[in-house]
This record gives sequence, structure tokens and C-alpha cells, in this order.
Amino acid sequence: MQALQSTLIQLAQGLKFTFGIFFFTLIFSIPLGLLVSRGRMSKIKIVSLIFQLYISVLRGTPLMLQLLLVYFGPYYIFGVNLGSIQIGPFNYRFIATIIAFSLNYAAYFAEIFRGGIQSMSKGQYEAATVLGFSKIQTYFKIILPQVIKRVLPSVSNEIITLVKDTSLAQVLSVTEMFTKASAAASAQVSVVPFVVAGAFYYAMNLIIETILNRVEKSMSYYS
Amino acid sequence: MPDTNKDIVLEISEIYKSFGDLKVLKGISMQVERGEVVAVIGPSGGGKSTLLRCATTLEKVDTGRIVIGGDVLCDNGSYCGKKQEKEIRSKFGLVFQNFNLFPHFSVRRNITEALIHVHNKSREEADKICDALLKKMELAEKADAYPCNLSGGQQQRVSIARALATNPEIIFFDEPTSALDPELTKGVLTVIKELAKEKMTMVIVTHEMSFARDVADRIIFMDGGVIVEEGPAYDLVTNPKQERTKAFLSDY
Repeated sequence: MQALQSTLIQLAQGLKFTFGIFFFTLIFSIPLGLLVSRGRMSKIKIVSLIFQLYISVLRGTPLMLQLLLVYFGPYYIFGVNLGSIQIGPFNYRFIATIIAFSLNYAAYFAEIFRGGIQSMSKGQYEAATVLGFSKIQTYFKIILPQVIKRVLPSVSNEIITLVKDTSLAQVLSVTEMFTKASAAASAQVSVVPFVVAGAFYYAMNLIIETILNRVEKSMSYYS
Repeated sequence: MPDTNKDIVLEISEIYKSFGDLKVLKGISMQVERGEVVAVIGPSGGGKSTLLRCATTLEKVDTGRIVIGGDVLCDNGSYCGKKQEKEIRSKFGLVFQNFNLFPHFSVRRNITEALIHVHNKSREEADKICDALLKKMELAEKADAYPCNLSGGQQQRVSIARALATNPEIIFFDEPTSALDPELTKGVLTVIKELAKEKMTMVIVTHEMSFARDVADRIIFMDGGVIVEEGPAYDLVTNPKQERTKAFLSDY
């Protein structure tokens, strides 16, 4: 009983990093994804190609590898030591994690957004144009709200995957929940910490699923 | 100066438009006076829709001149600035074949959004305009409905209300009933006839020959990117001069 209690406390301590990675990755990767999708759809061939390459590489290589590259890259390649950087309560380990996650997830979001934007009919743009809406008004009032509805199911998929992917930060020794669970498991010679961690991840996703279902429902008043 | 002639709402002269190697408009000239209803008929691919899209800024002509409500949109194929273009857009309305309502907005918001955010009217003013228009379209009780809950005919009447809301000098219709079955077509045509009686200036691209004959003052018959024949509506339909027009009309 004592063991379980201490496991719970230890995992709960890791939870704040898990939340942190999840939260900051979403905050940065969604706008970045929108930008990348715009770049990918650029009429300027070279710009489009660059973003296409970005998406291809980021989606085509392991996230774990990208984490290591962002963390060790600056020192190994350029000899720049960023290890001592600290922004508020966040050390470079954590910052590197957020950078790698955001870059990676932006690539996936970009392709989802591109699909959504390209599925919009030309008529919506034309109707907005002749009514006098500016390009920015058209994008934010007419196009984006409809795109959000269309991409939500795919975005939900990514968000749920992200919750589980936060465990990859273990490779940078970020003391998120999974790192804690691994440590507790080997200390106790027991699988209980893993089971508890699994329960935490599942509970988090259950909450997220409920919220996303509500959001989806709130947009079901039109088709 | 024809620009300052108050009676001409739309002046198009010698416009040419190509898509790649395909010449779609080969020197079209037409004028529409205030209060006049002009129907544009002709076979598909004859350039009718492209003409309408050029007049409504959705396509750019290669050469030629377009003047709407006294403002020059383009001359010799070179276009006015963005500001003037926006000014010109507030002078006309366009009704699309497939409505192009905004599905995520209620009927009311479809009509009021541009009034509020483009024409800087207050919400109260915009609502007043919207209510009056919906009443006219016999859709007063649908203000809070969403387009997906309306029939095609009702959607098209909402889109006519949306085009009328900004009080334009001229309204263009691009085959307004082609996406509707005959039953729903009637309601839309009735609304357009009503507007004609009120002396709304309109250019209507249509396949409804009897409607064109009854509602239009003048008919323009287009084929192969040129105006083959034009004249008073009744005369053109009942007594066409050109062989090409006769052949086209005999199919109706």
C-alpha cells in the first residue's frame, strides 16, 4: 500500500512535465502547422518545395531521433553549449523537447490543414470577394471556421497521439511521468508503476476525448 | 464623357479574355441603363458566364474597358487600384448558380455580415435591412435558420437578399435557377420579376427562355465569345434575325 502511495506521488510529480509538453506543443505546433500549410500551398514553386521537404523529413524520421538532434545538435555540430539556458522555470532539456515536438507535430498538422483548406469550394471565396470582404476577413470569418469543423476529427487523432508521445521525452531525461514510472518500476521490481502510468495516460485521453466530442457537437448545427 | 452619364450603370467595351490558348471573349461590348433588365442567353461554352465573371471582378480581362456605376474598373486591360475595386464591389451584387451561402452562418448573418463588417453599419441598422428583405422574399420566419435547413429555392432567395442588402446599383445573376427543380424555380423567378417591376437594374444569364422573354427588356444572344444578336426581348425570341440565333431558339 505504501509502495502504491509513493508511486502515485512520484508519478504525479512527473505529470506536470507531461502536461507541460502536451500543452506547449499544442500551443506552438497548431499555429506553426497553419503557417507550414500555407507555405506548402504557396504558388511560388521553390517555397512550396521547401515546405514539402520539411513535411516529408519531419514525418519520415523518428520523433525520438529528432528530440536527440535538437538537444545534442547545437553542441555536437556547432560546439555551442546551450545546456545552461534557462527560461523561467524551464531548462534546456525541456525547451529542446518542446522545440522538437512542435516542429514534428506542425508537419502533421500542416497536412491536415492543407486537406481542410483545399476541400473548401472556390465559391465560398468568390462570394466573400464580391461582398467586399478583405482577404484577411475572408480567411478568418468564412474559411477558417469551416476548415476547423472539417479537420477536427483528424486533429483529435493527433492530440490523442500527442498525449502518449510525451513519454518519448524520456530519452532527454525529462522527468515526465513515464520517466518516473520506469524509475519506480525498477526500484520496486514491479509492474505496478507502469499500470498506474497507463491509467494516468488513459484518464487524460478520456478527458480530452470528452472535450473534443463536445466541441465537435457544438459545430454540428450545420453541414 | 460616357463615365459621367448617369443613365448608364454598366458599360463594357471591347473586352477580350483568354484562358491559355482558348479565346473565350472576343470583343464584347454592351451597355446597361439604369432600371433596365438585360438577359444574356446562348449555348454553354459561349462565354456568358465568363462575361459575368469579368464584370464582377472574379476574372480579369486581357484588354477592354469596364465601367460600373461611373467608376472605371479597367481600361485597356489595366485595372484600377485595390481601393477603387472595393468601392466598385459595393456597387453591384452577384447571385451565383449554386448560391454560395456561408453554411456556418444563420440566414440573418449571411445577409448582415457584409453590412456590418464591410459597410460599417450598426447591428440594428443591418437587422432592419435584413428583416425587410426577408419579408420581401417571404422568408421572414427563416432568419435564424441555417442554409442546410432550407430548400434550394429558399437558399437562392436568401442569396438574392444577401446581394440586395448593400443596396447595389446593379445585380448580376449567373443562371440563378439552373441548380433548382422546376417547382423551386418558380419562386425564384417570381422574386426576380418583382425586382424588375421595381426597376432594379439587372443582368441575368439564364437558360429560361420564356422567363427571359417576359422579364427582360433586352436580350443578348452570345455564342463563340461574341454577341451574335441583341434586341428587345420579345422580338429577339419570337423573330430572331441571325441563323445561329434561330437554330439555338428552335431547341426551346
